[in-house]
Amino acid sequence: MNTPVRAIEIGLVVCRTCGLVMQRMPAPSPPTSCRRCTTLLRERLPRSAEHTLAWLSAGVILYIPANVLPVMYVSGVGGGEGSTILGGVLSFWRAGSWDIAALIFTASVAVPTTKFLALGLLLWTVHRGSSWASKQRTVLYRLVEIIGYWSMLDVVVVALTAALLKFKALGTAEPRLGIVFFCGVVVATMIAALSFDPRLIWDMGANDGH
Amino acid sequence: MRERIRRELTFHTPVLGVGPEPDISKYASELLVCPNCDAVHRAVVLGRHEVAACVACGRVVARHHSLSVDQLLALTVAAALLFLIANSYPLMTIEVGGMHTEATVWEAALLMLHGWAAWPAAVLALSMFILPLLQIALLLWVLAFARFGRRAPGFRGLLVVLHRSRPWSMTEVFLLGALVAIVKLSSWVHVTPGIGIWALASLTILLTILSMVEPRFWWTLLQAQA
Repeated sequence: MNTPVRAIEIGLVVCRTCGLVMQRMPAPSPPTSCRRCTTLLRERLPRSAEHTLAWLSAGVILYIPANVLPVMYVSGVGGGEGSTILGGVLSFWRAGSWDIAALIFTASVAVPTTKFLALGLLLWTVHRGSSWASKQRTVLYRLVEIIGYWSMLDVVVVALTAALLKFKALGTAEPRLGIVFFCGVVVATMIAALSFDPRLIWDMGANDGH
Repeated sequence: MRERIRRELTFHTPVLGVGPEPDISKYASELLVCPNCDAVHRAVVLGRHEVAACVACGRVVARHHSLSVDQLLALTVAAALLFLIANSYPLMTIEVGGMHTEATVWEAALLMLHGWAAWPAAVLALSMFILPLLQIALLLWVLAFARFGRRAPGFRGLLVVLHRSRPWSMTEVFLLGALVAIVKLSSWVHVTPGIGIWALASLTILLTILSMVEPRFWWTLLQAQA
């Protein structure tokens, strides 16, 4: 199979908003705007790896209080109790709803952890200038892009439960601080994924002179 | 049964072999650049149900759209009506000893708007209510003008907003969250799913179909009219 020609090598630039392919102005001139949609044209997102690392670190740090602090406080006839994300998963598991437990575990634990590991791996390999498994790493990036927002699931569940369960005598549910941190994790990791430019994976491969 | 057919693409062969291309303005529209890996392909005309994937990294770089402006407009009007229904009827009603409460999409977000919980509430309101509404409104505006062969005022800026807001619009997550909440609450109290949840499910399907239309379609809609 022939090797691909890459836009950056033949002086082409593609608009990331509308996909228009244009000729790049010679290097010293400042970046120009897209002819069709006026987005500023960049061959690569500027300082993509730094931005991704910053947002990813923010996500990892916020994930600690998100798991330690309770996300919801439920009070009923027999007093009240706060529940953390993992505590909620466990109580579903014990109650026999293993399917809901698995769903919440996937959205709140597996998805964020996968995003941390995947983006971490991508940043590390790009930093090292690796040309290893470029195609698979690009697929991994697309996976991170797709699964990203499903972590919002637990925030939705807490909000709806709190909105509905408000019988003063019989039971109420209130959101707790943990959910604020968890929401922060989702937003930070989504911005991290959006700031990562997957073309960096391939730039390194090209520099290695394969 | 519809089946996606993958069309083989070929890489573009540079005229000079290496270095910058002399002048691409003549054939720029015949090139497809993969947004994930920057590989340059020769564009092909796709038939019904055909998609073209990048040869280097496998990302779908072009897909055939079989929907006309009229059909897209019809879907958008349907989405607008479903949005109205999903937000005016309760998603679910719960009952305990004669008392009952119900919640709609925006109530869920609004009720959390106290103190520190305002932060996630704002994110929810934006991703589950404001952005889907904005997207439907923008599509209606652009398509209604295109229907009569006109370019909508503010076309350019609005399409950019439409494109940028897409990753943050999350109706499908809200739908799954509502279903989980129903199951969760049903272990304590009596829960009845409302009309809102059916409307939300249908809305999610329509918004997914509308988001499958690739950006190129919207921008060439402009070119055809201009």
